[in-house]
Amino acid sequence: MIIALLPLGHFLLAGLSLAWERGTRGMMLFSLLLDTTLVGVLFGQFANGQSLSIVFGDWGRELGIELAADRFSLVLSLLVLLLGGAVIAYQWCKRLRPYFYMLLHLLFGSVFALLFARDLFNIYVIMELLTLTSFLLVGYEKRADQIWASLKYLVLASLGMGIYLLGVAIVYYHTGTLNLDLLSAMIFSSGDVPKWVFLASSLLATGVAVKSGIFIFSLWLPAAHATASPAISALLSGLVIKMGVVVLLRLALVFPLSLSLEVLSAVTGLLGIIYAIYTYDLKKMLAFHTLSQIGYVVLGIGIGSEIEIAGSIEYAVGHGLFKGLLFLAAGAAVQATGREDIPGLIARRSRISLASRVGLLVGTMGIMGMPPFAGFCGKSLLSNGAESLVIQTILVLLSIGTVISFAKLIPLFRLERGPSTPWSKTVAYTILGLPMVLFLPLTRLFLPVELWRESFGTIPFVESLLVVGAGLLIHRFLRKHPLRLPKRIFHLEEAILTILVGFFLVFVLVWLG
Amino acid sequence: MTCINGVTIAIVLFGIGLLGLIIRRDLVIKLLALGLLNGSTILCLVSLNSLPGGVPPIIRGPSAVLYVDPLPQALVLAAIVINFAILALALVFVMLLVERYHTTDTQRLEHEAEREETS
Repeated sequence: MIIALLPLGHFLLAGLSLAWERGTRGMMLFSLLLDTTLVGVLFGQFANGQSLSIVFGDWGRELGIELAADRFSLVLSLLVLLLGGAVIAYQWCKRLRPYFYMLLHLLFGSVFALLFARDLFNIYVIMELLTLTSFLLVGYEKRADQIWASLKYLVLASLGMGIYLLGVAIVYYHTGTLNLDLLSAMIFSSGDVPKWVFLASSLLATGVAVKSGIFIFSLWLPAAHATASPAISALLSGLVIKMGVVVLLRLALVFPLSLSLEVLSAVTGLLGIIYAIYTYDLKKMLAFHTLSQIGYVVLGIGIGSEIEIAGSIEYAVGHGLFKGLLFLAAGAAVQATGREDIPGLIARRSRISLASRVGLLVGTMGIMGMPPFAGFCGKSLLSNGAESLVIQTILVLLSIGTVISFAKLIPLFRLERGPSTPWSKTVAYTILGLPMVLFLPLTRLFLPVELWRESFGTIPFVESLLVVGAGLLIHRFLRKHPLRLPKRIFHLEEAILTILVGFFLVFVLVWLG
Repeated sequence: MTCINGVTIAIVLFGIGLLGLIIRRDLVIKLLALGLLNGSTILCLVSLNSLPGGVPPIIRGPSAVLYVDPLPQALVLAAIVINFAILALALVFVMLLVERYHTTDTQRLEHEAEREETS
């Protein structure tokens, strides 16, 4: 019952918040506290080994809508709660229209629904709902650049979902069910994989990849996440993108997507990092880093062993925390200085408040993989599980690239007293920063002892410190050679073409793998 | 069985929609092409899962008659509503853009947005 209550309650409150204008802010806080209790109860039931699944109506699993919670969905629910709390705290002192809180309720409701969804069509409907909500959130302030960015997002996401629906049609034609668990039993029990599975799985994966921030598919992302207001960017980058990744994980457990996801993760990671290194606009650089960091998460999903998936989920949660923190602190810094480019920000750094600067510093250390923060945990779990040399090399390259691009921010971090911060922003930074700092002990709750000891011992510590050192050194050389990268691929037509090219790439890789 | 059936028509419509989305520069026509493309996926879902010679799934006579599977037809209702919502909201945003930039040409919109960014 609780599983159904989480999404449906938020949808109900979305309607209510339009009707009862004055209480929307309090209602939002109350609903998040209620969510926390409900998720806590779910965790308790999960620990006792109860089955957390509900099928609506009397249709059975073949036809009915099944909602079920497992370890991934519960861990990611924690991320929803933390990010939600931080965003509400950040906006607490602003006077916002009830419309904004309605959109937030819709967003949280659909995020919870997607975490628990277990059939392909249900996933389609919820992803479309997420598209519409995030489209409206990006254009919330109605600035012209926001509207253009969100329109591009809507067109590309809708195209992606069209491609996904074709995949759904093929799957239903051949199997007569859309439930992922039943499908997995059918496809794996039949011995060698039938031919239609290749086409269907590449269509499904392409459709979802458009929404999950993979470079050649999600070229709408830099514009949309860089132009949206900071709280919204934090939610979109930390949470909404992860939802696409969760669907990719569910698909990868059923369909033969392993090789294609590994290749795509390398592509998105490396291209994202190259763009991030040569971007000097703070919010845009963070947006490019969403593309690059998704590489880590998708890599683990592609390899698909238990450690790697645990590493992926951990990195997804960690990335949600530090990217949320970075976007919130960057938004405050940009607002205080009136500049968006990093040299401009550094020139006026005395106007940035101390709390925002500390927020940026903690977020940067997290994303760089500095032990013992959140990024380090995910990265060392992933590299502990990776066996082949190619994957190890990709992981090291990604880590060094991340350090190089964030080294640009180091002059910002001089710890001097700045202007004071409103308490609400400090609370928001604490909500995100504290779990990030305590991430290492917290992961102990979710991992077996031996794996935990092995992944976070002395050697990974030294390795990460070496990677950070190497990145900082390379940054000193690279900063003297700026480079202009092609911007045309982010135009609407080119982005559509790259999605098509990406589809053929995925199809070939699925066929080979 | 002829080669003109729902599925082939759906594929052709998908192609036309995609082509329109790529080569037409007008944003409104692009959105119409997107609508066509999404419509074609719905046609594909329904016609792929219909039986040749099947009867609509309304039980009137003996149960041995070959009924069409009703589930895809129930599913596409949701998809149709979603596509309508997307088209409507997108057109509202196009209106806001036209108020500001006075054009629906995507190349010029892209240019204006870039100019605003650099300034």
